[in-house]
Amino acid sequence: MNETLELNKLIGILAPVLIIQFILMIIALVQCIKAEETRGPKVMWVLIILFVNLLGPVAFFLFGRRKV
Amino acid sequence: MSAVKLMTLVRKEWLEQLRSFKLIWIPLVFALLGIMQPLTNYYMPVIIEKAGNMPEGAVIEMPVPSGAEVLAGTLSQFGMIGLLILALAFMGAVSGDRNSGAASLVLVKPVSFLSFILSKWLGMMTLLWGALLIGYAASWYYTWLLFETVDFAPFLLSYVLYGLWFTFILTAVLLFSTLLRSAAGAAFSALGLALLLTALSGIAPKYMGWSPSSLTGFAYEAVQGGFDASASFGWSIGVTILLIAAGIAGSSALLRRQPALD
Repeated sequence: MNETLELNKLIGILAPVLIIQFILMIIALVQCIKAEETRGPKVMWVLIILFVNLLGPVAFFLFGRRKV
Repeated sequence: MSAVKLMTLVRKEWLEQLRSFKLIWIPLVFALLGIMQPLTNYYMPVIIEKAGNMPEGAVIEMPVPSGAEVLAGTLSQFGMIGLLILALAFMGAVSGDRNSGAASLVLVKPVSFLSFILSKWLGMMTLLWGALLIGYAASWYYTWLLFETVDFAPFLLSYVLYGLWFTFILTAVLLFSTLLRSAAGAAFSALGLALLLTALSGIAPKYMGWSPSSLTGFAYEAVQGGFDASASFGWSIGVTILLIAAGIAGSSALLRRQPALD
């Protein structure tokens, strides 16, 4: 009983973190797939965005896109 | 330079920020940074217990940090990662426009160099102060949730002081971005300046009280409540504002000298 309460609290506290990371990942993925050309192979960026937490999408936003 | 023209240019900056998603991802990253600091502080004992290679039966007593200490920790996170992200996001502010020819397209219209630079600067400022507020408020909320309440006045004062320091560095980014052709060069010159100033105030706090970098120290003091406005406080604010104005004027003069690639 006590443990489930603790778990519920933990989920409540962590939910915003997970949601924000998810949003960042989705935006970065959409941008990456829609982009005509990325700096470096597109597959590499997709993998980085998917598997590197937080820093992956940020790195793509900062360095992945070619300025047109 | 009319205000209406300037507003039009600022709106163009906001549109550009929206199209490149900067308007969305930078505040989100700041919010995440702000949340992470109280969270890791709160769960540090558990993290050490689960992940650290502690010998059996070892007991570590960790003092529970006060809410103000957690917020000060958040500010120093913003000061490192946040500043790096902002500087990298805006490193091409002018040089990018100049290299792509967008600057020439704007500047052939009856737009003064100063209003072009000011629009860039105002666009950066709205994003910076907004993102910082979102991140810091998120941290404040989580500190209240997990630790204790921190009063509003120290929170606000430390926010403004830290924002002023960020404003100074981003103005330096803008200046270097007008001066140098390479975007990366601009970002690293500005970050180098930030590092240099911070190191100098670390080495000789007595003699560097007037420097913009001592604003970060004042912000930590402000949030922890032990703040008395000394003479160097007034100096550092005055010098910072002066340098920001000089940075904007300097960028505008540099742009006048080389508005486009020849």
